[in-house]
Amino acid sequence: MSDGRFFISESDLRALAADLLGAGTEVIAPVAVDACASPAAMASSACMRPGMEPEDLEYRALTDASQLDLGRGLPILSLKGYFLPEHEALCRWKQKGTTIEIEAVPTEFAPRVVLAAKPCDSAALAVVDEVMNWDYQDELWNGRRAATTIINLACPVIDESCFCTAVGAAPDATTGADGLLMPVKDGYVLEATTEKGRALVEAHKARLVGSVPAETLGRQAADERSAASARVAGNLEIDAGSVRDWIDTHFEDPLLASLAIRCNGCGACSSVCPTCHCFDIVDEEEGVGRGTRRRCWDTCQSPTFTLHASGHNPRDDQNARYRQRINHKFAIYPLRFGEVLCTGCGRCTRVCHAGQDLVEILQAIDIAARRPDEAEAAAAPEPAPAAPEPVTS
Amino acid sequence: MNIYQPQLATVTEVIDETSDTRTLRLEFQDEAVRESFTFKAGQFGEYSVFGAGESTFCIASPPTRAGFIECSFKAVGKVTAALREVNVGDIVGFRGPYGNSFPVDDWKGKDIVFVAGGIGLAPVRCVIWNVLDRRDEFGDVTIVYGARSVEDLVYKRELEEWASRDDVRIVTTVDPGGETKDWTGEVGYVTPVVEKTAPAAANAVAVLCGPPIVVKLTLPVLDKLGFADEAIFTTLENRMKCGLGKCGRCNIGPVYVCKDGPVFTAAQLKELPAEF
Repeated sequence: MSDGRFFISESDLRALAADLLGAGTEVIAPVAVDACASPAAMASSACMRPGMEPEDLEYRALTDASQLDLGRGLPILSLKGYFLPEHEALCRWKQKGTTIEIEAVPTEFAPRVVLAAKPCDSAALAVVDEVMNWDYQDELWNGRRAATTIINLACPVIDESCFCTAVGAAPDATTGADGLLMPVKDGYVLEATTEKGRALVEAHKARLVGSVPAETLGRQAADERSAASARVAGNLEIDAGSVRDWIDTHFEDPLLASLAIRCNGCGACSSVCPTCHCFDIVDEEEGVGRGTRRRCWDTCQSPTFTLHASGHNPRDDQNARYRQRINHKFAIYPLRFGEVLCTGCGRCTRVCHAGQDLVEILQAIDIAARRPDEAEAAAAPEPAPAAPEPVTS
Repeated sequence: MNIYQPQLATVTEVIDETSDTRTLRLEFQDEAVRESFTFKAGQFGEYSVFGAGESTFCIASPPTRAGFIECSFKAVGKVTAALREVNVGDIVGFRGPYGNSFPVDDWKGKDIVFVAGGIGLAPVRCVIWNVLDRRDEFGDVTIVYGARSVEDLVYKRELEEWASRDDVRIVTTVDPGGETKDWTGEVGYVTPVVEKTAPAAANAVAVLCGPPIVVKLTLPVLDKLGFADEAIFTTLENRMKCGLGKCGRCNIGPVYVCKDGPVFTAAQLKELPAEF
């Protein structure tokens, strides 16, 4: 095929993964894992019921190509942790008498490949690239980005919490990735979209078929693509530009200030978010006079995030903290970097045990932004009932 | 060396400013860094004690004094408590300088009014010395400084030095009840003392730093005295971690304090949400 697209069967895709593993390349891909494996999960009723073996999907480094899960479900966590680990060393120190030695950490990483990534997860990496490079270059982030080739697998759309098309992403996009796998009859069409992607294709030509009629493949793929896009667009349609401008100019608006009514500030949304990148820097002692300075994920939903040593806290209630989350994602970041800090994966909504629903929230803001009259009518308070007469005895 | 890796610096002097506030003088271990390190008045850094972590302070010494930097801090948290324990000869970490600076060069020929409360004198002191080291380039210099009590006044030796100069007008004040028998300065909060001192606003700029309440109450007084919002400069002290515009902590509305600040004019402050 001259248009850079190839056919690959499922067995050849697994063989390609096996070839990579055989050559010593790390391959990260969705893997079905025992959902009850963690100590916390042991308390879940599903895990205690005999005969139930609930599974979760996670991005894992494959130890065998057969683990590669091509069922197109959504991994619990995004790819974020492979680029901004939950915690990572920034440097190490060792004290010898009165002197201190600093040991640098490597900023170059071994090449690795991600297979069957979710388009919303690769897109998130491209969004976060901006903040990691707008002035100072974050070599740890950049080193991992440079070392990684990402091949997306087109997404069939998971459920009603998905809204990638509302924030400029798409179920078949390759933003932040190097290529795309598109399911067709008996296999996939593989298309490389960057130099890194083309290098991967070139190195594994033996597993690819270039002689399948391009037209047939193209039509099958196009049908699924438009169906998925239509499905996700049905979940949420907003004008991201109006939403951005409205949030930017309505800091004190009751709508923004009341969004957190159900939120109890656990920060799970930040953990599962592919674009949330805020971090803390802490020292970890590892014996007398030596230790590691680490950065670790943090969340603006925690009251200590902005707490001054004096006790003063600029964002001292959950409404202010939730507003910051919405403001940062849909106004501050787009105004600064031109990109929404959200790719519509919907994980925050699914994980929230209090029921905060980002689809609903963005819909409400979009209505306020686009149709101010309607929003005012909807927000108008019911006539207050007459106050009951005080009971005297 | 990645951007989060600190330089090592040796503590060469420890000065107790008050019972809980201390100044450290630091010299970089690496000779090349020691010789090439420059910064501008108002910039800050991340100071660290290995094992305790990093903390954000302004560089309190002026850029016109090369070869060392100084920081002043009150021991209130984990890192500052650890910094309180270091002695001359000990080694600490430093990353910086970060952030923007006071546009001192734009102030040539102008009168300068410094207003500070408590430990807020630290960033202002950097600018004061910067201006005094280049005294001929500026007009009248007025300093109004207040603290809770005489004991809480920081940089006492320098307050005396400034008071002894005939090219500086300095007014020091302590909160009512904070005065001692032999106190000869003012008694009262900083804000009314600024009003009473009434520095001329024509062709002048004001540099204001202190606890949030002092900044909040003093801004209207400066306005009343005729200072335009664009001629009032302050420095925000938000909680920070990276100092590099990455970690998201110092975000106020559209502003990353570590990158767009820490120095802001009153005009810029009024555009920001009240989250500082």
